[in-house]
Amino acid sequence: MKITKEIIERIEGEATLELEWDNEQVTFAKIKFFNYRGIEEILKKRPLLDALALTPRVCGICSHSHAIASVLAIESIFENQGESLHVSQKANDIREIALNAEKIHNHIKWYFFSILPELKRVADPTYHGNAYKEKQWFQAQNAIMESLKMGAHFTGQWPHGSFVMAGGVTCDPLQSDVVSAIGCLDSVISFCEEHFYGMPLEEFLSFDSALQVMSVPSALSYGIDEMLKQGFDRLGRSYDRFLALGKSYMYEGSLKASKTAVLGADVKYVQESLEHTFFEDKHKGYTYSKSAQYKKSYCEVGPLARLMVAKEPLMRDFHRRFKDAALTRVVARAVECAHLIARTKQLLSKLNLKEPSFYPPKKDIHSLSGEGVGIIEAPRGTLIHQVDVRNGVIELYNIITPTVWNLGNGNRENPSTAQKAIIGLNSFTKADFILKSFDVCSVCTTQ
Amino acid sequence: MKHKSTIVWLQGLTCNGNSHSFLNYPQMPSFASSFEMIYHPLICGAQSFSTVLESNEHFDFLIIEGALSHDERLLQRFGIPFYEILDNFAKRAKHIICAGSCASFGGIFRLRDPEKITGALFSGKEKGGYWLEKSNVVNIPGCPLHPRWLVETLFALRDRDTLLLDEFLRPKEVFAYLAHHGCLRNEYFEWKVDSKQLGEKEGCLFYEHGCQGPMSHANCNKILWNGVSSKTRAGSPCLGCTEFDFPRRALFETQKNMSLPQTPFGISKRAYYTVAGVAKSFKIERLEKKLIDENH
Ligand code: SF4
Ligand code: SF4
Repeated sequence: MKITKEIIERIEGEATLELEWDNEQVTFAKIKFFNYRGIEEILKKRPLLDALALTPRVCGICSHSHAIASVLAIESIFENQGESLHVSQKANDIREIALNAEKIHNHIKWYFFSILPELKRVADPTYHGNAYKEKQWFQAQNAIMESLKMGAHFTGQWPHGSFVMAGGVTCDPLQSDVVSAIGCLDSVISFCEEHFYGMPLEEFLSFDSALQVMSVPSALSYGIDEMLKQGFDRLGRSYDRFLALGKSYMYEGSLKASKTAVLGADVKYVQESLEHTFFEDKHKGYTYSKSAQYKKSYCEVGPLARLMVAKEPLMRDFHRRFKDAALTRVVARAVECAHLIARTKQLLSKLNLKEPSFYPPKKDIHSLSGEGVGIIEAPRGTLIHQVDVRNGVIELYNIITPTVWNLGNGNRENPSTAQKAIIGLNSFTKADFILKSFDVCSVCTTQ
Repeated sequence: MKHKSTIVWLQGLTCNGNSHSFLNYPQMPSFASSFEMIYHPLICGAQSFSTVLESNEHFDFLIIEGALSHDERLLQRFGIPFYEILDNFAKRAKHIICAGSCASFGGIFRLRDPEKITGALFSGKEKGGYWLEKSNVVNIPGCPLHPRWLVETLFALRDRDTLLLDEFLRPKEVFAYLAHHGCLRNEYFEWKVDSKQLGEKEGCLFYEHGCQGPMSHANCNKILWNGVSSKTRAGSPCLGCTEFDFPRRALFETQKNMSLPQTPFGISKRAYYTVAGVAKSFKIERLEKKLIDENH
C-alpha cells in the first residue's frame, strides 16, 4: 500500500491530505488540520457577552456568522431561564441582511478566487495563476467589497463587526443608510449579471433546468464546462445526505434530506466526536478537527444541503443529473448566491426603521445561569454555538462549525462526507479539487 | 517603469481576518500596479510556497499575519516548524510588517499560552516577543487592521525614507489619532450624556457600555470601515483592538472605580473628574432629546 501526503493550499488556512492507494486508486483519505488556536478555551471564565466579540475571531471570513450564532445562544439562555427576549422584526431583518452580505461575498470570493483558478490549473498543470493579472479578478474583488459594504452600513465594519446584542442589534440606521446599502447591492447584482450568470438575475432565478444555465456564456457556464471535461459531474459523490439545522426563508424549521426525501430534524441528534484528534490522544491523533454526526450518520452541510432541503427546482435538476457530485456542489454556491441577493434586496426595501433596534433583557446578565444553543446557517453550512454559563460567567463554550460536518474524519467502515467523496479517485489533483469543492475553511475547523 | 515592490505574506496563528480585510482595499488596481504579491497563502500569487522557500531571492516586504511561536507543536506551516520558515524569510526581507494585533502583540490567541505565543517584537506590552530586537519591523495592530493602514504604510516605506513610528512601532499617521476622533457621539461625550441603552443613535458609549474609543489609538473613525461606518457609528463600543492589551475582559462593560469610569488617554484623573462634574451639571436639552424627532 502506498501512502502520499500533500499540503492543500489556497483554502482558508491549510490542510494536509493523506491518501492511501491501492492499484492507483485512493482507498482511504485522512484530512488533517493543524494550527489550533483554542477560542473555546480562551472564552472560559470570561463574562458572557465577551463571546459576542471573541467568537467572530474564530474566522476572518465568516465573522458575522459567529456573532449571530453567539447572540442566539445567549438569547436562548434567557429563554431557558424563563425570559423570552423580544427581538423586533427590524433587528431580525438586519441580522439576516448582515449574514447574507457575508454569504454573498463568500460565494463570489470562493468561485472567482478559488474555483476558477483551480479549474484552470486542473486543465493545465503549468498554470499557477496570478490573481493580480486578470481583469475579472479585480471586478470580482470590487463586487465582494460592495457586498460587505452593504452589510457594513448595519454592522459598522467587516470583518469583525460587533453589532448584535441579546435583545436585538446595536445599530439604529437611517433611511439614507438603507438607500446607500441598496446602491451597493445593485452593483453586486450588475457584476453577477454580467460575469457570474451572464443574464439578468430574475431570468437566472426562473430557471429549473441545468441546460438553461449551461447554454448562456458566463463564468458559471465556463466552470460547468470545465468540470464536465474533467469528469467532476461523476466524481466527488458522497452519501447524498443533507442537513440544514439553521433557519432560512426558503424552508420551515430544521431539515434533513436523504437524496430528495426531506424530513424534519432536531439538533438533539447532533453528536460531536473527538476521534482521531489530538484532543483525544496526543500521540495517535492526527488532526485538530473534531467531527460531527447526525444520528450517527455523516451528512453534508452547506449551500447544496440548503437548496436540497428547500427543494429548489434548479438545484433539483442538477442533482437529478449529477447527484451530489463536485459539480453539483460548486453550482449550488452560485445558485444560492442569486437567491440571497434577491432576498436581501427585498429585506432592504421593506426594512421598517420605525421599530426599535433593541429591547434590553430584564434579567441582569450577571445573574444569568444556564445553558443555551444558537444555530444558524453560515456560508459553509450549519453552525452551532453551545454555551454554559454560571452567574454571567462562561463555564463552557462549544462551537461546531460547518467544516467539522463535511471535513471531519470518520473510519474506514464509516468515512466522513469528504472522505467518502475522495475514496476511489485515481489522482491527487482530482482529490485536491474534490476536497476544495466543500469550500474548506481550516481556521473554522480548528477554531 | 519603476520596478514593482515585492511582497511575501506569511500566516502564523490567525483567523485570516487581516487577509480578508486587505481584500477590501478599494483601489486595488492602483495597488497592484506598484506591488507584486509573490506569495500569499489565500490569493493566487506569482510563485508557490515551496519556490519561495527554496529560492534565495530577496524581497521588499514580508507581511506577517497572526501570532507567532517558537514551539513547533503550536505552530507549523506546510509540515515545517514555523521558525524555520520565518527566519528564512525574515533574512531576505527589507521590511517586516506585522499585520494586525496578533502579529504585533500576540492578540487574542496569545491568551491561550502567553509564555509561548507572542507577537513579533512584543508580548502584550512587554518588549521581546518572537524576536528580542529587530530594526526593520513596523507594527500595524487592529483586529483586523484596516486595509488602508496596510497599503498606505507599504507606499510610505517604498516612496519615502522615513516613517514616523510611536513607541509601539505603529505608524503615527494612523495611530496618533484615537478611535474617539471622528465618532459621531463626541458631543455626548463632552457633555457627559451617556447612551441610555444600545440600539440608538444618541448618547456616548463610554459611561456604561465599555467604549474604549478615548483610549485606543487608531484613525478608524476618521477613515471609516468599508468606506461607510465604524463600530461606534453602528452603536457598539470600541473594543480597543489596536492596543497591546486587546482583548480586555468584559468588553461591553465600563470598569468603574467608585462609580467613576476610566479616564481618557492623556488626562489626569483629578482634572478629568472635576471637568466632568461641571459638564454633567449642564442640562443641554438638545442632547437629551432624540436626534430625529417626528413631532417637531
Ligand atoms: S462612543 Fe466611544 S468613541 Fe464615541 S464619543 Fe463616546 S467614548 Fe468616544
Ligand atoms: S473602533 Fe476600536 S475596536 Fe473598532 S476597529 Fe477601531 S480601534 Fe478597533
